[in-house]
Amino acid sequence: MQARNEIKASVQLVLWTLAWALTLALAKFGPELLWDEQQVASWAAVAVNFVAGIGWIVAFTRFLRVLDELQRKIMQDALAVTLGVGWVVGFAYVVADGADLGARDVDVAVLPGLMGVVFMIAFAVGRIRYR
Amino acid sequence: MKNRITDLRAEQGWTQAELAQHAGVSRQTINAIETGKFDPSLPLAFRLAKLFGLKIEEIFLNDQ
Repeated sequence: MQARNEIKASVQLVLWTLAWALTLALAKFGPELLWDEQQVASWAAVAVNFVAGIGWIVAFTRFLRVLDELQRKIMQDALAVTLGVGWVVGFAYVVADGADLGARDVDVAVLPGLMGVVFMIAFAVGRIRYR
Repeated sequence: MKNRITDLRAEQGWTQAELAQHAGVSRQTINAIETGKFDPSLPLAFRLAKLFGLKIEEIFLNDQ
């Protein structure tokens, strides 16, 4: 029963993650490639992406709930490290940029990319630590 | 916190995976508890105690 719930929650999380990523790509590239920068279509794409994002958050919360307590601890530790790194690096960049310390213009996509890598490393470390 | 899970599991003839299935957790969780890397929550400790027909304090030993 536990395993079945985990599989169900995992599948839902994967589907919502895909939905969010696809709608994000649609909102990002659609105005230029699909609907010739029409405002209504762009707003609709952003709204759909926002709704998919809420669905993704709910699916992730449900996924955390069905994990057993050690798996949840590993996941929460990894999320804490990821949030910390994102927060610290993000604000360090903002401060450096504000103080004209020669911080280069960075694509905003770098931060979530960095957080994704940090999460995967932290998650793997947690799995190995409690192996 | 020390515990007697490994010995009790061996007495029952269960593998880690079988105990994990009975307790409703993953095999990794049972392994981590047995090796002392992870202390279970109170509800899981109660479930394990019930499975072995013992009291919690007969399974988990406070080593502090």
